[in-house]
Formats: sequence, structure tokens, C-alpha cells
Amino acid sequence: EGKSLRDDEILQHLPVGTTATLYFKDLGPQIGWTTVFLIEYTGPLFIYFLFYFRMPFVYGLDERFTSSPHPVVNLACICHSFHYIKRLIETVFVHRFSHGTMPLRNIVKNCLYYWGFAAWLAYYINHPLYTPPSYGKKQINFAVIMFLLCEAGNFSIHVALSDLRRNGSKTRKIPYPTKNPFTWLFFFVSCPNYTYEVGTWISFTIMTQCVPVGLFTLLCFIQMTIWAKDKHCTYLREFKDYPSLRMPIIPFLL
Amino acid sequence: MAASGSGGSRADNGYGSQQPRRRKGPGALATAYLVIYNVVMTAGWLVIAVGLVRAYLAKGSYHSLYYSIEKPLKFFQTGALLEEYLLIAKYLPGIVPSSVVLTAFQVMSRVFLTWAVTHSVKEVQTEDSVLLFVVAWTITEIIRYSFYTFSLLNHLPYLIKWARYTLFIVLYPMGVSGELLTIYAALPFVRQSGLYSISLPNKYNFSFDYYTFLILVMISYIPIFPQLYFHMLHQRRKVLSHTEEHKKSE
Repeated sequence: EGKSLRDDEILQHLPVGTTATLYFKDLGPQIGWTTVFLIEYTGPLFIYFLFYFRMPFVYGLDERFTSSPHPVVNLACICHSFHYIKRLIETVFVHRFSHGTMPLRNIVKNCLYYWGFAAWLAYYINHPLYTPPSYGKKQINFAVIMFLLCEAGNFSIHVALSDLRRNGSKTRKIPYPTKNPFTWLFFFVSCPNYTYEVGTWISFTIMTQCVPVGLFTLLCFIQMTIWAKDKHCTYLREFKDYPSLRMPIIPFLL
Repeated sequence: MAASGSGGSRADNGYGSQQPRRRKGPGALATAYLVIYNVVMTAGWLVIAVGLVRAYLAKGSYHSLYYSIEKPLKFFQTGALLEEYLLIAKYLPGIVPSSVVLTAFQVMSRVFLTWAVTHSVKEVQTEDSVLLFVVAWTITEIIRYSFYTFSLLNHLPYLIKWARYTLFIVLYPMGVSGELLTIYAALPFVRQSGLYSISLPNKYNFSFDYYTFLILVMISYIPIFPQLYFHMLHQRRKVLSHTEEHKKSE
């Protein structure tokens, strides 16, 4: 019972007497986090292309390999691809995971989720009968700017979090705002990376004005709020001097 | 899906913790509310049962009995949603997580059948399949709610426990058959009227085909029903054999 020991704890330093009983738990088949992320994120990248280039089996033979007359469709493809390429780069070069692995069956669940939604929303955005946003260029330009800001924000936070573990340690430290303005969200929120991520998807929803994208955004928001609350509670537990102004994911609210 | 013992993992005492001896259970006021709730639900389903019988005797046939119990059926079946919400929000204590998922599933599917199929597609309301699942649900719920009532009052007659964990063997397949046949009967009318369906192009870039959705729902019964059924059988073996030992030790 209780929490498990950390990888780097030394047996000699543990508060036990001359004999200690070690309990082992079989975690079942595992897979590395990096591997999972790479597979999870490469899927949506290529699946989207199947729809963007209108493979014959998607919209029927008559529409095969045609392209959309709407510029926003091309823009959406660029943004979507950019998002997942960014995630892949972060997985390889930026993220430092505290656990090496996760249970194998997670990858099936996660891939179904990411790949499934990517296919579903790509289907509508690249459909021959797609309708561009109601407020036209204004709506699209606003969405693009919001998208870029949130992606930059998200990336800044990931780098800041990664820097907390620069020396390879796996202990948790309180993240603080740095000189980078995007990290100033740390004044208000424990997990600004999630905040920015939700922002990215909201901007994508506005850009495409597509209900399936909106639904995906909603689900992401719910999932990330759960993660943020968890993280926030962990911080509060571990650090007595944790900044009291901070909320888990939305400043002042949630 | 009809099941005489929905939420199978709930052992003898319904809302309390798992087994006979050390039962924490709800406090006195909560118990009072729960008893009242379960008595009301038992009464409600009895009303439906009586309504069915009276209508049958009056009409002389079992055709179109749905109309005679339409309102109380909708009311009490939808009332189970409240119960499910309380379980999920943990206002009802001591429930094993898996049983919450199972009951949530069953409640959702029943509410779906009641509103999204039978109520929405008027043409199926005269089908005999509707009667099939209504009867199955009615008997199931009367037993289930009286089971909870007695458990809360700590006087559970063996007959009720036996009924809850045995009758499902017949009632569950009966209910499922009724449900599937009803959905199947609704299909052509949904196709024809385009009920709850939206097609491209539209400014929200969304489409939904209720007809296909109903077919998928029917297909989903194939993996789900056997799991629930065997889970109930397993529960039956556990609960009823446990009682035997309990009785012997007294």
C-alpha cells in the first residue's frame, strides 16, 4: 500500500531496519512514452493527408485527387500538420518524462482516439461540400493569429518545463515564469501548456467552423482539465509554498 | 438493456458496501431518503404493471398496450437517470466503480429506447416488440427496487434476492429481443422521414445519419449483451451460494 518507491532511491538510505520486505507489482506489458507519442502523433499527420488529397476511397472515384476551391482548406491542412509536426519534434527533443513507460493497452486506446478523431474531422474539412466560415476572411485571419500565438505559447511552456529537469533529475520542481512573455501565464495557471493547447484547438474550430472539430476540442478540454487538476493537486501537496493565485487550467476560474 | 439485476456488482444490501458482515452504508437520514425513493420507484413500476394488466383485460388483446402506460413508463424510466447521476456523483455511498459503468450503460440504453426510438417513431408504438421489453423492464424493476427497499431496511426476504438474481435469466433476453425488434421496426420510418439526421452541405460542416446510427446501436448489442449476461450469471453464483453458507452458519 501507499506510494511506490522512486527509481533513484537507494536501498541503504531507506528508513527500514536490518530486514525489509519489498513488494513488487507486475505492471503488465509496457511501452515507452516516447514510442507511444511518436505513433500517436504520426497517425493523424498522415491520415489527414489521405483526406486532403482526396484518396479515391474517401469521397468516391469522381472526386479523387481533386482539390478544394477554398483557401481555408489548404490553410487548415497546414495548421493541422504544423501542430502534429511540432508535437513530434517536442517528443524527440523537448519532453522529459518522469515515467519511462506506460501500459501497452494504452496505445490502442490512445491511437483509436487520436487517429479516429483526425479522420473524422479531416473528412468534413476536406469534403467537396465543405462550407467555409460564415464571417469569411476576418474569422479565418483571427483564427490563424490565435493559432500561432497558442502554438508558440504551448512550445514555450514545454521548453520551460523541460529546463526544470535539465540536469536529468526526475524530481518535481515548481515552474515559474521566465523572461519569455508566453510563460507569464504561470502566474495564473499551473498547467499553461494545457491552456494553450485548448486555445489552439479553439482557434482551429473557429478557422474551420466545423462541429466535429468543436467536439474534439471539447473532449480535449475535458481531458486536459482532469489532468491539470491532478497536477495542481500534486503541486499543492508537495510544495507548502505553492503560489496561491494559480488555478489548474483557466486563470481565476477552473 | 433489460436486466433483472442491473448493477450486478451490488451485493445483498444494494447501496451499502460489498458484503454481509461489516456494512457501513448510508447514515440515518440518507437511508430514509433512499427508502422513500425505492418505495416510490417500486410503486411506480407496479402502477405500470397494473396498467398493463387492466388494459389487457379491457381490450381483450395485447395489441397496442403501450398507450395505456406510456406516461408512467416515460416518467419512471427517466427517473432512473437521477438515480444514475447520484451514483456517479457519489452521493450514494459504497458502490464499486464497475457497477456504476454497467448500470449507467443500461439506464442510457433504456432511456434511449424509451425516448429516441419508441416515443420518436410513432409507427412502432403499436408493435408487439414494445410490449415485450416493457413487460421485461416492469418485472425487473419491481423486483430490483423492492430488493433495495428491503435491503435498506435490513429485512431482505430470500425470495426477493432469489428473484433478482434468477429471473434475469429469462427477462434479460426477453427485454433485449424486444428492444432489438423495436429498433429494427423503426428503421424504415427513420429512413423515410430523415428523423434526427442532417446532411451536407451546411454551415456547421456536420452530418449525422440516424438510420446508420441505429444499425450501429443494434450491432453493439452483440459484444455487450453477452458480457452483461455472463456478469449477472457470475454474480448469481456468488450471491446465492454465499447465502447458503450464511444460512448454514446460523
